[in-house]
Amino acid sequence: MLSPLQLEEFEQIDFLRDRHVRFFQRTLQVLPERYASLETTRLTVMFFAVSGLDVLDALDVIDRNNMIEWIYSLQVLPTEDQSNLSRCGFRGSSHIGIPYSVKGPGVLHPYDSGHVAMTYTGLTSLLILGDDLSRVNKQACLAGLKALQLEDGSFCAVPEGSENDIRFIYCAACICYMLDDWSGMDIQKAIEYIRGSMSYDNGFGQGAGLESHGGWTFCAIASLCLMGRLEEALSQRELDRIRRWCIMRQQSGFHGRPNKPVDTCYSFWVGATLELLDVFQYTNYEKNRNYILSTQDRLVGGFAKWPDSHPDPLHAYLGLCGLSLIGEPNLRKVHPALNITQRAFQHLQQLQQTWRDNAGTCT
Amino acid sequence: MSGLEETSNESSELKEDNDFDVEVEGHVEVDYASDPFRLYMFYRDRKEWADLEPVPQDDGPNPVVKIAYSEKFSDVYDYFRALLKKDERSDRAFALTAEAIELNAANYTVWHYRRVLLQALQKDLREEMRYITDIIEEQPKNYQVWHHRRMVVEWLNDPSEELEFIADILSQDAKNYHAWQHRQWVIQEYKLWDNELEFVEKLLEEDVRNNSVWNQRHFVISHTTGYSSPAILDREVQYCLNQIRKAPHNESAWNYLKGILQDRGMSSHPGLLEQVLELKETHCSPYLLAFLVDCYEDALENNNQKETLNRALEVCEYLAQEKDTIRKEYWLFLQRSLESRFGPSAASGEPLADGTEPPAGQQELS
Repeated sequence: MLSPLQLEEFEQIDFLRDRHVRFFQRTLQVLPERYASLETTRLTVMFFAVSGLDVLDALDVIDRNNMIEWIYSLQVLPTEDQSNLSRCGFRGSSHIGIPYSVKGPGVLHPYDSGHVAMTYTGLTSLLILGDDLSRVNKQACLAGLKALQLEDGSFCAVPEGSENDIRFIYCAACICYMLDDWSGMDIQKAIEYIRGSMSYDNGFGQGAGLESHGGWTFCAIASLCLMGRLEEALSQRELDRIRRWCIMRQQSGFHGRPNKPVDTCYSFWVGATLELLDVFQYTNYEKNRNYILSTQDRLVGGFAKWPDSHPDPLHAYLGLCGLSLIGEPNLRKVHPALNITQRAFQHLQQLQQTWRDNAGTCT
Repeated sequence: MSGLEETSNESSELKEDNDFDVEVEGHVEVDYASDPFRLYMFYRDRKEWADLEPVPQDDGPNPVVKIAYSEKFSDVYDYFRALLKKDERSDRAFALTAEAIELNAANYTVWHYRRVLLQALQKDLREEMRYITDIIEEQPKNYQVWHHRRMVVEWLNDPSEELEFIADILSQDAKNYHAWQHRQWVIQEYKLWDNELEFVEKLLEEDVRNNSVWNQRHFVISHTTGYSSPAILDREVQYCLNQIRKAPHNESAWNYLKGILQDRGMSSHPGLLEQVLELKETHCSPYLLAFLVDCYEDALENNNQKETLNRALEVCEYLAQEKDTIRKEYWLFLQRSLESRFGPSAASGEPLADGTEPPAGQQELS
């Protein structure tokens, strides 16, 4: 029989599944105005919630078909004259004011274009919801993607121009991987940019010369894995050095840079990187778990970056992924490079097999 | 995906209550507290905007992650969307972008449109610099504002305010990644290297554990003198060791030391190993011990000696069992790996229990 103190301690570190399910459900419904800065990235917020529910094996609580329709309404499709191909992909939201439509042809608008992170999370969200991507104009997406790559191998987010860095290489790699078509990017140049982003301390920065960081290191390694070029791009010596940089990030949970405080999301960014490098097994699971759970919001659900802080969809999702990596019971396994469940990944593999089979039978 | 992280964090920090207020209808009028005399006029009621048809957002029948905007917010953005649709190039459009930015400075379309207008209307870019300075001071972790500043600096071809501005932002948060990124861009683009090492030293005096500053040190030196000259390399090695003496438990200093030596012969730098072994007695840390392991590994690659291997294995054991127990399994893995690569079984080519294979072409034991 547990003493009252033992019972209290047990409650403190237990995982509150139902709260997290409800947290993601609310996220998918309505957010208050103070979340305005998320407007242009609403599709990524949807991805966090939908993939989070998938990890929790709770996708049954949402209306998948309605959500699939909403995602397709965000696709920037080619116009009749195909003059906007280099701007195709997915939008983050309806903020430009294009009238709702799930089918083409695209509407000509001087400022409408896709965003590489939205195309990535749009595709992953469709997959997670069980869609077969048949309404995705793949060639248009790839044309839009190609238009975003710069001479140095990095990508911008939008054709109008934006900052360019390794985050968008990762988004591009995911898109090509999912569409099973690497014509959307110059792999060699991307690899050069990634290599150039390796710091003297063996982590990866956002670009050459920049401080190494757990998030960018994930983007670097995951991209190379998706490209199937990890061991071609990096020597064994370099991989060992990267392993060391990554594994030194564990303090209790993980931080993103030396001498910075730990933050729940790095349990995924760094954890997944370590998993891709085959050394996650050598981390301390208990301390990692205890940290992540200390950032759990017991009232509202979700996870925050730090204990006693407000939860948000990103940390809620990545906290769950961090727990999944250490094998937390009743959580689906996550594909560490693509950042979707293995279940969704298998759906993708089946789809890709169908595409290959169909391509084999000429009409 | 840190942009998303940063945005989300800003949003979460705005929360007053420990919950989402779920408002399905979602309209909150401009209230008496912020506008007691009802001075604010919606765009839809302004005569000089009567020619424009506002464009609402259209999420269709089943919106997802819908944000419940106030009437004021919707009104501004409905007119923003209207301007965007006709690609209007006017002063009223320019003025509205500022309002739209104040409501959501992360909307990259608004910033892009503002840049189009800046050029089309030949706006005063110096004034724009003042504007963007204020916005960045308020929201220093937003990607769009820094990108905008970079564009304006490029158009003006004038970086003269940048180093001081960035220094000010860094004085509020010395690790702001955007600020350091912008600083590196300015320095590299306009060749402003001259005083940067001095800036680095000043910041390291303020906080020797600031990893961003150590990174900047490497950035400056590698782009100016480089590390090939023995004089420079030795100066940097001694600088590191001095900082370590002052603050031993500092991963950044050790990472820098290893970083500048790892491809230049860690174990062959004169006197270094001795200095580190000395420091081990009084200024030990997991980073010192890890550095030692790496020194021994470097030595083993050039000259596989049983004594060197034993020392390396011992340090791994010490790390695993006592000095860095959180990484116990990793240090034991490294131990096995070193044993496999350089130990007696390596000569026979047998794999070890955990499947690690010794590589082909082992060094001769001397």
